[in-house]
Amino acid sequence: MFERFTDQARQVVITAQVQARTLRHDWIGTEHLLLAILAQPTTLSARALHGHGLTLERASRLVQEALSDGSRQLDAEALRAIGIDLDSVRASVEASFGEGALDPASVEARFGGAGQEPAGRRARRGGLFGHVRFSARAKKALELGLREAIRLRQNRIGDAHLLLGLLREGQGLAALVLTRAGIDLAELRDELERELRQAG
Amino acid sequence: VEETGRLTTDASSRDPAVGLRSVRSLRLLAERLEELQITSARELGWSWQEIADQLGVSRQAVHQKYAGRRRLGRRD
Repeated sequence: MFERFTDQARQVVITAQVQARTLRHDWIGTEHLLLAILAQPTTLSARALHGHGLTLERASRLVQEALSDGSRQLDAEALRAIGIDLDSVRASVEASFGEGALDPASVEARFGGAGQEPAGRRARRGGLFGHVRFSARAKKALELGLREAIRLRQNRIGDAHLLLGLLREGQGLAALVLTRAGIDLAELRDELERELRQAG
Repeated sequence: VEETGRLTTDASSRDPAVGLRSVRSLRLLAERLEELQITSARELGWSWQEIADQLGVSRQAVHQKYAGRRRLGRRD
């Protein structure tokens, strides 16, 4: 599939890995693909997002916000109500297993997309960075990007097809961030298709 | 101690919202600890059977839940 990617689309995939590492995530999710798209400001897809008011900085902030909420968070107050001090649990776990050992794992798991992925595979963060890999949703989004290219009868898969793939996938953190940014996903999709048809 | 006393009173106030949130967080905490301990046990070379014995569940149960996971299943 990758041999049909344009240079910009390849760059998206490479930059997504960089984004994941920078954020100290041990997975590459749809959110990292979105950030990678925004990191190449002159591409069709990034310009479309800019047109809707979404910059790389804003998207990064929204990703971070989305990561810190969600139903998979440990509720320190609720635990204290039954006599469990989460801070001391965390301290004793980290004393044995290292910093962050009790942190939630992949957000994609939190959003129900990681399938077989372990819920806490980051147990030893440091050692995992050689193995950063795509979440199930991110893979799905890339596949859907390919299908968008086929549907539009275009030979190469470009950055805009990848963004269309993220929109089609629709369930990942990328789609959540776009929605939270106030972007009408259907409108963005139409716009991208229009541009792609004109270009190709 | 005083604070714990007050919170214990909260917990026994029979408010389901508080009680259920406690249960949910406790379950989540247990899941995280389980995964952490199983990862560690596998890295130390424990078999699925040995892990299952300590957890008081069947080997199948623990194997099914964790063996497919990348970092845990590689010794099988």
